[in-house]
Amino acid sequence: MSDKTPKLGGQNGLRRLWNGPNFRWNLFLLLLITVECVVFGATNSKFLSLTRIFASANGDLTFWYVSIFVTFVMITGGIDIQSCSIVGLTSIIIGVAWQDFGMNIWAAAALAVAVSVACGALSGFFVAYCGVQAMVVTLGGSFLYSGLGLLVSGLSSTEAYKGISGFPDSFKALTKTKIFDLIPLQMIIFLVLLLAAYLLLHRSKYGRKVFLVGVNPSAAEYSGVNSRWITMSTYILSGLAAGITGVVMTSQLGTAKSDLGGNFTMTIITACVLGGTLSTGGKGSAIGTALAAISITLLRFGMPLCFGINKQYLDIPIGVLLVVVVVGRAIVSNPTVIAWVGKLRGKGKEAKAGA
Amino acid sequence: MNAVKKIVKAREFTSFLFLAGLFLVVGIINPAFLSVDNISACFNSSMVYTLIAVGMAFAIFIGEIDVSVGSTMGLSAAVAGTMIQNGSNWFLAFAVGILIGVVVGLVNGWGVAVMKIPSLIFTLGTNGILRGMMYLQVGVEQVNSLPKEFKDMSSKTLVGRFTVYYCCAVLLTIGIHFLLTRTKRGRYFIAVGDNAGGAELVGIPATRTKVTAYLICGVLSAAAGIIFASRIGIVTSLSGNGYEMKAVAACVLGGISLSGGVGSVIGAGIGAVIMASISYLLVFMEAPSNYDNAITGVILITIVVVDALMQHRAAVNNRHARLAARTSAVPGGKEGLEQ
Repeated sequence: MSDKTPKLGGQNGLRRLWNGPNFRWNLFLLLLITVECVVFGATNSKFLSLTRIFASANGDLTFWYVSIFVTFVMITGGIDIQSCSIVGLTSIIIGVAWQDFGMNIWAAAALAVAVSVACGALSGFFVAYCGVQAMVVTLGGSFLYSGLGLLVSGLSSTEAYKGISGFPDSFKALTKTKIFDLIPLQMIIFLVLLLAAYLLLHRSKYGRKVFLVGVNPSAAEYSGVNSRWITMSTYILSGLAAGITGVVMTSQLGTAKSDLGGNFTMTIITACVLGGTLSTGGKGSAIGTALAAISITLLRFGMPLCFGINKQYLDIPIGVLLVVVVVGRAIVSNPTVIAWVGKLRGKGKEAKAGA
Repeated sequence: MNAVKKIVKAREFTSFLFLAGLFLVVGIINPAFLSVDNISACFNSSMVYTLIAVGMAFAIFIGEIDVSVGSTMGLSAAVAGTMIQNGSNWFLAFAVGILIGVVVGLVNGWGVAVMKIPSLIFTLGTNGILRGMMYLQVGVEQVNSLPKEFKDMSSKTLVGRFTVYYCCAVLLTIGIHFLLTRTKRGRYFIAVGDNAGGAELVGIPATRTKVTAYLICGVLSAAAGIIFASRIGIVTSLSGNGYEMKAVAACVLGGISLSGGVGSVIGAGIGAVIMASISYLLVFMEAPSNYDNAITGVILITIVVVDALMQHRAAVNNRHARLAARTSAVPGGKEGLEQ
């Protein structure tokens, strides 16, 4: 923003940035990540290896990719709890289309992504055009799509629990390639998705409309925004993200299974909320969600490595983090507290002026 | 006559018809299904669902949601199960299990009603914490050597082929229904869910009502956990996972609106039977159990979409009726409208 108003000079530009939407919250998240790195790094120096961090991040790609786009849905005031089952559905479609229907692997992947977009569009249609609560539709969707995944896996000659494997090397190379021998291609895909989400949400007309629909759908409708289409489009985007995740995860594991998405639903919502998205809509940022997702992964990676905590107990620190953050934000944004802090500040200034 | 009309018009009656229709269709496809044994088995197997769905109904009535019921249920099952397995007094174990529910309910109620944090987020957080505590309690092993008498409790029948547990659950549901509809304090829940601000203005303690709703939800899901332990006989660290979503689905199938203030606990009970029956019915349809999730999803989406469209239509009709009434009262108004 500061480059548009060169007259205001550096300090004002900084202040504008400081007061900009989500900037302070993102700074807090960066601080959180730094603290995690310092604490875990000091406890166990093995933590500070990029290769290891990237390797652990690869297991969490599902919620890294998906949560960025679920943020869109939450900004419009909805919620999406079906993405994980779409990831599984995408994966099994790739496997069955390739192995049992003899399709080219890339054509199979394209088909799977198209199905995932259709899944998102179907749920989005019910939410936007039929006025059903998003929670219920996507709950039904999560049952439906995971059920469809099982049905599709029934079409295959391979038994469902084994998963379909033996994909061609070109497909596996998608996730085996490392840039500069260090950064896996999955991370680059993540950065590309993040950049796309950032541009869409914060630098385009479309993003403005998404926010407007979240703040006040009727006002958006009256000011000429096709709020129904905007709502539906956010579900399509999250479906698309789930589809891409399905392709990447299938390539990475080398196995197509219908339960590949795992149970990351709660983690996805946690990442969105921790990233500063209001669940009532109208507020949120793609960068914040990404930073939150990174901090959750570091927590999931660092806790077992440095403190020997069993992986299964990791729900506790993540739950505590979520509760502490939302309670803290509720206290900070409480009008009485704000007034109280304001008073303290005012007194301080008066004292300074008097001196 | 009026009473009959009232029942037929009720939202939960549609759910009941749906359940009856479901049984009938399966009966036509496979006549072997239509026996007292099979139908009572459908009802008996819905016991755990019934309790958590009724609990969830309270959270939904006040316009909120509680996604920590699954882990509350799991934790109570794990703790009470471990105590019974180690030979402690049953009543003590039950009391500790219920106490867990009380604490969870109060914490959730505090976060949602007092701190005014969106309920989905807050209960999501407590869900994670409880799930982790459950791992601490159960660990890698499972609670699987529960005494035989405790497990046999679940197959004892009381009325006909209905088990003691299910009869208790039904009595409890009916009792709660009357408390909710016939007493002053009971009506607070619906009032707060319908319009929290309005309820506050007419002197209803909205915060206290919300905390009470979460308290009841926590206690009922803890009770469901104990029954789960007795019925299944094994508690692993994953027990109760996903039950929160099934409870929401049962409530929605029973005609409870997620926006709050609409529905009844009877509906939640019927929805729970539908949810529990689907996998049982599939066996008689000779369909693989793979269809379970897909069918649940289709039924859920169909019901809510049809319901939303019907509500929309009713709202539009109401508006037209109001407009017509208003314009016909004014001389020349109706003509003016028609022009």
